Amino acid sequence: MIIEAHDLRKTFTAKRGRGKTEQVEAVRGIDLAVEKGEIFAALGPNGAGKTTTVRMLATFIAPTSGTARVAGYDVVKEAAKVRENIGYVSQAGGVDENSPGLESLMLAARISGMSKKQARARADELLEAFSLTEIANRPAKTLSGGQKRRFALAIGLVTAPPLVFLDEPTTGLDPQNRANLWDEVRALRDQGTSVLLTTHYLDEADALCDRLIIVDHGQIVAQGTPNELKKEVAGDVVTLRLKGVDEARELLAAQPYIKEVRAEDDLLRAYLDDGEHGLPRLLRALEERSLTLDSISLDRATLDDVFLRHTGRSLRDAA
Amino acid sequence: MLRHTSLFLGYELRFLLRNPVWPLFGIIQPVMYLLFFAPLLGSTTQSGSMPEVLAMFTPGSMMMIALFGSLFGGFGLINETRNGVLERLAVSPAWPPAIILGRAAKDMLVLVVQAILVMGIAMIMGLRITLPAFLLMLGLMALTGLFAATLSYGLALALRDENGMSQLVQFFAMPLTLIAGLFLPVSLGPDWLQTLARFNPLYYGVEAGRALFRDDLGDSTIPVAFGLLAVLSLITITWSMRSLRKMAG
Repeated sequence: MIIEAHDLRKTFTAKRGRGKTEQVEAVRGIDLAVEKGEIFAALGPNGAGKTTTVRMLATFIAPTSGTARVAGYDVVKEAAKVRENIGYVSQAGGVDENSPGLESLMLAARISGMSKKQARARADELLEAFSLTEIANRPAKTLSGGQKRRFALAIGLVTAPPLVFLDEPTTGLDPQNRANLWDEVRALRDQGTSVLLTTHYLDEADALCDRLIIVDHGQIVAQGTPNELKKEVAGDVVTLRLKGVDEARELLAAQPYIKEVRAEDDLLRAYLDDGEHGLPRLLRALEERSLTLDSISLDRATLDDVFLRHTGRSLRDAA
Repeated sequence: MLRHTSLFLGYELRFLLRNPVWPLFGIIQPVMYLLFFAPLLGSTTQSGSMPEVLAMFTPGSMMMIALFGSLFGGFGLINETRNGVLERLAVSPAWPPAIILGRAAKDMLVLVVQAILVMGIAMIMGLRITLPAFLLMLGLMALTGLFAATLSYGLALALRDENGMSQLVQFFAMPLTLIAGLFLPVSLGPDWLQTLARFNPLYYGVEAGRALFRDDLGDSTIPVAFGLLAVLSLITITWSMRSLRKMAG
């Protein structure tokens, strides 16, 4: 177990002007168990408490209550030991804009105890791996977003840590850079590095992680492998747009082959295990009642459907 | 711990060497004061001779760069509270004080170089000081720089807001400068001003500098200035460390 957390909580005192303060419960009791070598994701909307959780695990902030062990060490009592065993890439990246990326890389390597020679060798290795050799000596502020991200990742990995935290690693990247970064994260797993990443992208969690937690309002609402979670909802989802939502909802809910029906404004989502066979029956049922459709689609259930089921709202609307 | 401090110092110095022009701008102001303001001060000293005027005026113009040059150092750090650099360093194996001390050491080195240049120009203009006075003055500059720089870093980490910080620096810098007798000794002024000056740490710095330049190495303001600035630096370093720890709440 590379991360073990029990009932982690964090309450901030936020200033509300004129000397007034307010208690904000950012994280409200999170339990975690991440295995060695796993890519583990925390999926949730902005403000769900993902970053705060990662910051507690990475020893940047102390939990208000609860305990956590990272790489076998307590995050509060043995913070120094934890720091020797983790790489941390924050949402902001942490690449010094005014210096060349190589300088930041070298400094990070030397701080971890490497000699100048060792640091240079390790830096060259990472520059090569992330295709950064050509731009190693350019001030970071002249680099593109994707290049800066890669430097941030390289700096986080400079000590070859057994565990890396990636906080929203692909936010702001274009699709091509995103796909490249996914490949780089997968390559980490192949080398045996454990990864804890946070994301608010469904497809990212789905494509990348072995297991995940879905977080909302500082609490875990679901956890498992992406497939387990989706199975929990149903295999497929039929999304319908039509007049007479209420009548259609009642009708569909009574169908034996439909597991669950959810209404959202003029949208209906019907969850069923075997979409290809269920869809014709569903259409016939609607026709018998003379309910006319504006649109219909059949999709595999996504993690958004899981989120919807547990929180009553769609992840796209939750932010 | 010393290793980490020197690593951060090296990083800062390499940055400086890539952009060596900016610190040179810092000495333009004191040099202009020496050239264009010092000659007006003939009537304020006993003999009115240029060496005597320079011995009185040069320490003040040097303290000015020690204070102003370093007080603005924190602005760069405010940016680093947002771009994730400090966040990353805070969870790295780095010895936390080294993050602040490495930068402050760079500020001190820059000040020492600037001080050598300013004193060199003053000597060309006629200033005569002894080697011990010269070296002690460099030490005094470095220590004033350490205090002002760590105060600035502490402010930056506590406020994390450029606007608030520039207002606050201006608010403090002006009265500190005036009440220290930076340009003219407060001994020329009324009693109440002299009493007020005794509560200003910068006053001791300037007076110690003037004692050094008079070659009055036994003057009590010298140990007082060194001791006071050392204690104040310790307080500001501790404070900036606390602010660094509390950065994320």
